[in-house]
Amino acid sequence: MEGTIKSKILDADGIRRAVTRIAHEIVEKNKGTDKLVLVGIRRRGVPLAERIQKYIEEFEGVKVPLGILDITLYRDDLSTIDIHPVVHETDIPVSIEGKAVILIDDVLYTGRTARAALDATMDIGRPERIQLAVLVDRGHRELPIRADYVGKNLPTSRREVVAVRLKEVDGEEDILLLERDDINIK
Amino acid sequence: MKWQRKDILAIEDMSVEEIRHILHTAKVMKEILMRPIKKLPTLKGKSVVNLFYEASTRTRTSFEMAAKVLGADTTSIAVAQSSVSKGESLYDTAKTIQAMRADVVILRHPSSGSAKFLADILDPAVINAGDGQHAHPTQALLDIFTMQENLGKLEGKNVVIVGDVLHSRVARSNAWCLQKMGVNVTFAGPPTLVPVEMEGLGVKITHDLDSALPGADIVMALRLQLERQKSGLFPSLREYSHLYGLTTERLKKTGKQSIVLHPGPMNRGVEISDDVANSVDALIERQVTNGVAIRMALIYLLIGGSSNVVA
Amino acid sequence: MWWLKDVWVIDPSQKISASRDVLVKGGQVLEISSSLTEKEVLEKAQGESLETINGKGKFLFPGLIDVHTHLREPGQEDKEDILSGSRAAVRGGFTTIMAMANTQPPIDNRALIEFVCRQGERAGYAHVLPIGTVTKGMLGSELVEMADMKEGGAVAFSDDGKNIQNSEVMRLALEYAKLTGFPIISHCEDKDLAGEGLMRRGVASGRMGLRGIPASAESVIVARDLILAEETGGKLHLAHISTTESVELIRKAKARGVDVTAEVNPHHLIFCDEEIGITDTALKVNPPLGSRGDREALIEGLRDGTIDMIATDHAPHTQAEKARPFAEAPFGIASLETALSAVWQYLVLPGRLSLDRVIEAWSDTPAQRFGLPGGSLKPGTLADMVLFDPDFSEVIESAKLVSKARNTPFLEKTMQGFPVMVWVEGRLVQRDRTVI
Repeated sequence: MEGTIKSKILDADGIRRAVTRIAHEIVEKNKGTDKLVLVGIRRRGVPLAERIQKYIEEFEGVKVPLGILDITLYRDDLSTIDIHPVVHETDIPVSIEGKAVILIDDVLYTGRTARAALDATMDIGRPERIQLAVLVDRGHRELPIRADYVGKNLPTSRREVVAVRLKEVDGEEDILLLERDDINIK
Repeated sequence: MKWQRKDILAIEDMSVEEIRHILHTAKVMKEILMRPIKKLPTLKGKSVVNLFYEASTRTRTSFEMAAKVLGADTTSIAVAQSSVSKGESLYDTAKTIQAMRADVVILRHPSSGSAKFLADILDPAVINAGDGQHAHPTQALLDIFTMQENLGKLEGKNVVIVGDVLHSRVARSNAWCLQKMGVNVTFAGPPTLVPVEMEGLGVKITHDLDSALPGADIVMALRLQLERQKSGLFPSLREYSHLYGLTTERLKKTGKQSIVLHPGPMNRGVEISDDVANSVDALIERQVTNGVAIRMALIYLLIGGSSNVVA
Repeated sequence: MWWLKDVWVIDPSQKISASRDVLVKGGQVLEISSSLTEKEVLEKAQGESLETINGKGKFLFPGLIDVHTHLREPGQEDKEDILSGSRAAVRGGFTTIMAMANTQPPIDNRALIEFVCRQGERAGYAHVLPIGTVTKGMLGSELVEMADMKEGGAVAFSDDGKNIQNSEVMRLALEYAKLTGFPIISHCEDKDLAGEGLMRRGVASGRMGLRGIPASAESVIVARDLILAEETGGKLHLAHISTTESVELIRKAKARGVDVTAEVNPHHLIFCDEEIGITDTALKVNPPLGSRGDREALIEGLRDGTIDMIATDHAPHTQAEKARPFAEAPFGIASLETALSAVWQYLVLPGRLSLDRVIEAWSDTPAQRFGLPGGSLKPGTLADMVLFDPDFSEVIESAKLVSKARNTPFLEKTMQGFPVMVWVEGRLVQRDRTVI
């Protein structure tokens, strides 16, 4: 990890509670599951979306459709980043025409990923509405974007890093706050 | 993997890993082509120049579409053929393109090696869209992409390429590409068009098509340039067609539901019978889409990040 | 007067290959001796100023004679001219060069022969000896005025660059040239077999999709010309031999007593077709580079005397002409300035050829065959000679080359073994790699 650990924000139980709450809020706010399509943003948005799908199925008895979105081709920083990003597949198995699409990601920060995800989603179809669910909102928005569902609001400084670790991806399950080692980062 | 290649000139010097990476990226691109809105912001502000010294509507359009879907601007320079000063104009044109600050140049040229020649001069990336009889890497990649869609894993499969191998860049690039992916390749045709030195590509060669067909998963017919008859390379279309024309009857010898491919345009009734040509036609829509997807993948890989842009 | 002390003299014409002292006076070799004292030398100088060169570790041999150079004048002076070409010659160790006739217009009459001689004298570096064409306009049909051209200074006849396709014309040429005593130099290439080919036909051409020229394109004409030479009793010299079959045909013809000699170019002894990259127009040459096997056969042929001479086939072209896709670039390698070094580095140093054999094939033999002055350091002969430093190394750089052409595969490469002093008729024309 890129820095020194300052504190643990949530442990596995904390994450479970936060995601379960988000699942409930999604159903409540959309008045049921009829129009829902869950879309996980690669990479950690995908296991989160799968968990939300599972929780909704547990308490509503309905398996809400689930898709995967890769936003690489929509990034606005392609010509400035040094490492050539590998594109992955976008796989949304159902039509999103007229649906309520819930974009799911781990951390909301500048808002640029969410912006790219919105553009990508709208190229795929014309949903009735799009909402955004994130596990952590750490502030410092650079675009007029806010999340509809937030697991944990976490005020941070730009020098800090929020590391979300999920079992499926990282083998660990927690959220950590780190201090960057290199001071010169903007 | 980290992509480090500046140009796409030939399959011969590519690694298996690179080919897999291109095919993987093309798969993503193909999904985008299936969307109602086929337009990405990815390469906004980048410019792609099509430089075609040979007429080829299909390949040029395919590259143009690929660039446009990715959000790049495209310019086409169709160069009239002048037999005397071709080389000079390629060098001079290269200098002009350099001044235009293009990001990618797509070159189709009648001289083998012209793509590398251009790439050595230019800072922008160069994609070889066919250079003489040397290479046609994007065609080979789209063919293998289609084969993979149809057959899944290609390792151990058998491909027979029939026809004028000697003069074919498609045959050369396909031979390299397929063999790198573990496919067994046989070249079939008359000894004048499939000479013994072609074994240097690592393929099997045969002059008896019928003996090569059993077990073939894919049969690819090459376009027979009719002027080769005048050069004495084969005596008549009738005899050629009799020995090497793909017919439904002959294809039964594969003992499989083999796929037939043809880089087009087809001489119906010569290298391919009408009914077999129809089965090729059935694949054409998919081949066209796959062609755009492969070319999108390549353009993206070459100029999608900053690491490959020469300052 | 020059006194070259303790230098290794190689002079095949006198069968010398030993450490000697050499004195040069009045433009001529005065004496070759195993040891001279300063007193003896001063006596011989008779008051003339004396320059003494310590030749230890260096070789002295007769100035090389190149029987095959293209100087492009008249007509293509953007590629090379007689002045730049003869400067390049002395920089490379050649004191006599035979200028090929395929200029624009071709050298097919006495006036043009005399023009070339005159330009060579004006330049004042290597001796420039013109080769006349065999046929008028190099069109392959009517013979030139050979006797008249001999009077004007021609030393041989050749339609080099083009093969004489018509066998009857070739037969007549071999017959008629008897009047002059000169050989017909044949560029063996069957036009139909060569077709639009770009390199030797083989695995490499097949792999790159570059149109191939089969080895037979040369060998069938070699066979034809040998048969015609045998039948007519004419003198035949075969230019730039490049195939195994040609070597074998020549070997057999010589055994039968056919009056034939043959030359080989350094590049055919050094490179082979597998080494050509698809944009390496510097290696695009005619006849094309052959296979590894051909290269071996040529070296063996040169060793056993089947091939008599080495010749550069110096073929200068402009950079713009070579900076083209392979198919569109002209054939040819500019090699006067690098040929000797290349042969030293790639053939002599690894022990493939002896330096003695190389010097014989590049000086004495050509002089004998074409009846030329030079090629020997016998006392009393004109002092055309080369001091060769086997340890001198140099990067082949555009700025240093004095030829107008840069089409050499050695460009930007470091090479070792160069002529460091060159005399023409006793006059120093090159010192420390600089043409004077």
